[in-house]
Amino acid sequence: MSAIVNPATGKPLPTITDLTRPFWTAAREGRLVLQKCQRCATFNFHPKPWCIECGSRDLQWTDAKPFGTIYATTTSRSVAMNFPGWQAELPVLLCLIDLDDGARMYGQVTHCKPEALHIGMRVKAYFEAISDDAGIPKFRPLQDA
Amino acid sequence: MRSEVAIVGFGRTPYSRARPGDPVLTVDEYIAWAADLALQKAGMSKNDFDGQGLGVAHAEAAHTVNWSAAVAENLGISPTVLLRADQGGASASAMLIRAAAMIQSGIVDRVLVVGADTPLHIPSAAPGLPLSPERTRGVYWDFQGPFGVMGASAQFALVLSRYMHEHKVTPEQLGKIAVNARYHAGLHEGAIYRTPFTLQDYLDSRVLTDPIRLLDCVPIVNGGLAYVVTSAKTARTLTDRPVYLRGFGEANNYYRGSRSLPDITYTGFTQAAPQALQMAGVTQRDIQFLQPYDDYPFIAMMTIEDHGFCKKGEGGRFVEEHDLHFDGDFPMSTDGGQLSGGQPGGAIGGFMPLIESVTQLRGEAGARQVRDARIGISCGFGGIPYGRPGRSCISLVLSTEP
Repeated sequence: MSAIVNPATGKPLPTITDLTRPFWTAAREGRLVLQKCQRCATFNFHPKPWCIECGSRDLQWTDAKPFGTIYATTTSRSVAMNFPGWQAELPVLLCLIDLDDGARMYGQVTHCKPEALHIGMRVKAYFEAISDDAGIPKFRPLQDA
Repeated sequence: MRSEVAIVGFGRTPYSRARPGDPVLTVDEYIAWAADLALQKAGMSKNDFDGQGLGVAHAEAAHTVNWSAAVAENLGISPTVLLRADQGGASASAMLIRAAAMIQSGIVDRVLVVGADTPLHIPSAAPGLPLSPERTRGVYWDFQGPFGVMGASAQFALVLSRYMHEHKVTPEQLGKIAVNARYHAGLHEGAIYRTPFTLQDYLDSRVLTDPIRLLDCVPIVNGGLAYVVTSAKTARTLTDRPVYLRGFGEANNYYRGSRSLPDITYTGFTQAAPQALQMAGVTQRDIQFLQPYDDYPFIAMMTIEDHGFCKKGEGGRFVEEHDLHFDGDFPMSTDGGQLSGGQPGGAIGGFMPLIESVTQLRGEAGARQVRDARIGISCGFGGIPYGRPGRSCISLVLSTEP
């Protein structure tokens, strides 16, 4: 199967599986959920078939704190792959964000000038619907949230 | 396992940027062409591999069910052992290690290893740059594409931004690596871009996804490569210039720190390189050249430091203080690397450091020959894990001396 594209936005959509549906549904509803290992308490992301720290299959979707700290940054100034929908959002401020519950996530930071974006910046998640079934977290600087 | 196998032949087809009017070859044709070159160099025929080994690197454009067996069918070879590597840019190196183990244990005496891809003819999700269907499926993609990850350059730019936060490297230092690759490409007629550029040209090149510039990126090409590895005993009957595998080390899915929040400024070479050097019985000081997997200059720089040629965090300064030319004190990417040579798909570029190393050690590198080359390091680096730099890191010590 090739990438699914939302024809309205020109941006990619996920293939939703039973494994990942809770994440997409929660984000559609404005909540951040992550798989929490019931044995070692590690939050796993992206979704895994078992805990990548201890191997337990007992992972439960759990509400996570919608706050994080920027771990790495890039400002994408052109569309590098085949999803023209990103063109309208350039520059895209893409970050790796260390969530307060201890998982790392790719995330787009908005409401921030490229020159203000920096590692260590505190951010808060908000949620954008990308289809009828799915949403994604995006992030904005905490002081402006 | 030290020095029990040797490479006796290799081939690298001309590359194509698939400009209008250029002939369009299939992956099968590139594989046959590269294998033909390698067999000619080895003084062997395809029939020498009936009952022996055939190794096939993953190709994004062409792979089908039973891909390695399908390649055997297309080549008319009936091997007893099929190897297939899907470790991206570490595939060529991985198959050398697997082949060595097969040969050392007596299962086969020789293995023909092939790889080709035509990424400029991959059916894309939409018009534009290549994006193969297999890159846009699975949970790994589902949690990147929709989140704004637009490709390898953005993924690696994030790693580099963190590196610059933790350590120190300047654009000038990274630019020197790119300029060096282009300089060597000018001395290698097989390289795809050969006109020299200056450090200023590098600095002036467009920022795509900062801190990654246009001249940080590999040009994608269509092409194929191959090599022949045999037992050391057979090698000596075929050539007076066998190139021995003296040592190897491999790290897959390397994490530094926790799996949830790892330090991404280190690569698996921190594990693989010491293993390779120890097996070879040498130290960094003995190494005469380095052929890194240079898909981006900063990956080459991290490869230098994680091999222990300098302390962690001093790779930029090391590059600045050393002469990277073939006749300098730290020859690197002497074929033009992938940066200026071209990358025939993410899975096949990893043949290039290996084949350039063998070319140098056989004294066949012509205008870019490292003087009296006897021992060098070749690297494989494959795949981009979620939020980290490299899925597979392989370090090989190759030498003219067993």
